[in-house]
Amino acid sequence: MSLVNFTTREITCKLVYYGPGRSGKTTNLQYIYQRVPEDRRGRMVSLATQTDRTLFFDFLPIELGAISGFKTRFQLYTVPGQVYYNATRKLVLQGADGVVFVADSQARQLDENIESMQNLHANLLEHGIDVRTLPVVLQYNKQDLPADLVLTPVELDEAINFRTWPSFAADALKGKGVFETLRALSERVLRRLSEAESA
Amino acid sequence: MTTTRAVEPWTLEPLRRFVAEAGARLALLTTPAGQVIAQHGFTRAVDVMAAAALGAAIAASTAEINRMLDEPKFRALTHQGVRHGIFLANFETPRGSMLALVVYGAGSSIGLVQLFMEDLVRELAAAAPVREAQPRTVLAADFERDLNQSLASLFGREI
Repeated sequence: MSLVNFTTREITCKLVYYGPGRSGKTTNLQYIYQRVPEDRRGRMVSLATQTDRTLFFDFLPIELGAISGFKTRFQLYTVPGQVYYNATRKLVLQGADGVVFVADSQARQLDENIESMQNLHANLLEHGIDVRTLPVVLQYNKQDLPADLVLTPVELDEAINFRTWPSFAADALKGKGVFETLRALSERVLRRLSEAESA
Repeated sequence: MTTTRAVEPWTLEPLRRFVAEAGARLALLTTPAGQVIAQHGFTRAVDVMAAAALGAAIAASTAEINRMLDEPKFRALTHQGVRHGIFLANFETPRGSMLALVVYGAGSSIGLVQLFMEDLVRELAAAAPVREAQPRTVLAADFERDLNQSLASLFGREI
């Protein structure tokens, strides 16, 4: 849940990158880390196995600057995508203000995308979070691979985006779609915060 | 120069007293989700967030193991290193659950930290204000313009 302090005029929001194993969640954070000026980001913390698979989470804090007079910070987390790390995945999801679902566009990964999307719904439900009101955006990563290996964004929308969340084609390794995804989620999270407080 | 800083102002004095009495080098109060409430000794706001995320992760995973074993909620964890000790406590306040992450050096001890942690919890309970009404609006309706400018400057390009 966002932390809003009216005295110091600061907002801190938690954004979680979710999705199946090897879909590119850590790659998104690594690209953001490389591109954001040093004085606007913190250390990137990765709790990973020796083979660099995410074990618990990756974490990257970034400072957006002033939004409507509030110093705004985002805490970006990834979850471990592998199926058997569900317990830790659920912990990272706790207190999330918004979710980026990073799908692997490869046709052979479709079942993993669907399973991970179902798992996201189940874990949000266990935290008592209403998935209908939580800001979520989808990113269809690896769209740079040969066309015969990947599903198109339209096909992926039909397969996993039954809530018609905003979706973005991406090639996270080269950065395509990374900022657009983050921007879309940022806007939705801040809009929800604004609406919730003024309701 | 080390500083003590609080996002929630009512936590500032209790934390200052704790740091002085327990001889803590670093101290951090957070929510269970890792949001920073107050801190002492960290020099960069963004680094303190990494420590908060790691502390919250340790607390969350330990609590989950406790739950699996049907054990009561843990109160504190400690690790004694060669140069530093780390103490992580989990406690309730009238404003909700909090975590305290404390790093201490040779000038202190786990006993001192534990002793004054009890005082800190008591003082926080006494200092916690009744939940005040917040202003109805946080962000202006046209916050998108600020957001676009911030993201553009953050990523060094037009978005």
